[in-house]
Amino acid sequence: MAGRLEGKVAFVTGGRGGIGRAICARFVREGAAVYAADLSDAGSMASAVEDDVRFVRLDVTSEEEAVAAMATVGAQSGKLDILVNAAGIELEKTVEHTTLDEWNRSFAVNVTGTFLASKHALPLLRKAASGGTTASIINFGSYDGFIADPGLAAYCATKGAVHALTRAMAVDHGPEGIRVNAVCPGYVDTPMLQGFFSGAGSGGGGGTIDSLKEAVRNVHPIRNYGTPDDIANLVNWLASDEARYATGQLWVLDGGLSAQVQQMRL
Amino acid sequence: MTDARGRVAIVTGGGRGIGRAIVERLHRDGATVVTCGRGERPADLPRDIVWITGDVSRPQDARHIVAGAARHGDVAVLVNNAGIQIEKTVAETTDDDWDRLIGANCRGVFNMCREVLPLMAERGGDIVNLGSISAMVADPSMAIYNASKGFVHSLTRSIAVDHGPNVRCNAVSPGWIMTEMAENGFALARDPQKAQDDSLARHPARRFGKPEDIANAVAWLISAESAFVTGQCITIDGGLTAASPLQPGLF
Repeated sequence: MAGRLEGKVAFVTGGRGGIGRAICARFVREGAAVYAADLSDAGSMASAVEDDVRFVRLDVTSEEEAVAAMATVGAQSGKLDILVNAAGIELEKTVEHTTLDEWNRSFAVNVTGTFLASKHALPLLRKAASGGTTASIINFGSYDGFIADPGLAAYCATKGAVHALTRAMAVDHGPEGIRVNAVCPGYVDTPMLQGFFSGAGSGGGGGTIDSLKEAVRNVHPIRNYGTPDDIANLVNWLASDEARYATGQLWVLDGGLSAQVQQMRL
Repeated sequence: MTDARGRVAIVTGGGRGIGRAIVERLHRDGATVVTCGRGERPADLPRDIVWITGDVSRPQDARHIVAGAARHGDVAVLVNNAGIQIEKTVAETTDDDWDRLIGANCRGVFNMCREVLPLMAERGGDIVNLGSISAMVADPSMAIYNASKGFVHSLTRSIAVDHGPNVRCNAVSPGWIMTEMAENGFALARDPQKAQDDSLARHPARRFGKPEDIANAVAWLISAESAFVTGQCITIDGGLTAASPLQPGLF
């Protein structure tokens, strides 16, 4: 069976991190030519991986580097069908404890990074869309853009901004055949989540990581947190032509976490 | 304090709990308050509150309640507070459960609105429905209750759209309000104190709601201060649903 993304070109920021790698691997299996953009070829993971993905060095906060990255894609592939803005950072602080530099850095990566990659990808996305199919931008929102985890103020705010930007871009670029959606993960097993478990911000309350993980699993209606593959499944669908009528939406993928009233432990 | 002087207000299910707090508030604000319930007039209901025995789920009773209220003047306010709760999943819910719950929570609201709307058409009026945070996020084992409140939220918007500008219609969506029902729930917990502490920690306001908190919102929503507010479902939950359900620090 042919892959769902045969003939398509995809660019994934944060493409060497936990969720980014799963997306890139899935895109390759579905037949796309894939560019993984990240600060290094190991991304946020411990080591690099050998795969059929073209690595592009990119600091998403730099306009110069965004322009150069898209010039590389243009020269090698001539178009771009799929842009995934997966690069992101999390800061575990309240507003009071967040420095201005930390605040600016959170917005630079999570919001400005999404803006810059999208802005400079648009000419290539238009080329892809002119071929009779739609092009697709997939941003990374978060369930934290809707409801707040404690001690994550700047992160929550950046994700709210990404949600609004997603709708705005969908409205502006829908007429050009470019669809824009956001996936809004809940808890997904990545270095970011492991850092949250062990970080001061989670207020582990003296519990071990294992007991904490168990407790976190049990709060989910589906009794587990997600995997990067779960996110890749949705991103793959949104990137495919099957999703050609889907745009401007915020796709929450959280094992039902935010569907429930907070569970009281009676 | 808001001013409701000279207005006739119907509050359904005002015998106790949240409804009773709304009745007493609107009465203090100067309204002529008419309330109703399926049973006899509660012995402790203040003397100048009008009580009409009736079941809002029955159209003829709704007609009787509204006609009774209209004898005291133009009906200007309707607060649909009456409702029941059944703690079951879909699989456990019987036909009888469905008829009782949907009858009270959905059909009752519909019956009362249908009766008062013609009276409000010319002189205007304010309708406030009691929704719930359960309409947006699910309480476990409360399936058709949750769904019934989703109906209330949607009907609120429809009435606002269809019957504006003369009639405004809004909903108040309470979170955990400390009533006898909630206290009984904690009493059943393995460790009542821990259960209560845990629940409190999940409220940014660090307390449970009081019936008066809901009455305050209702009083505002029928006042001139909220003249541009219609079709909205206003959450009064001490911040409960603004916070993630997952707070590892609490485990």
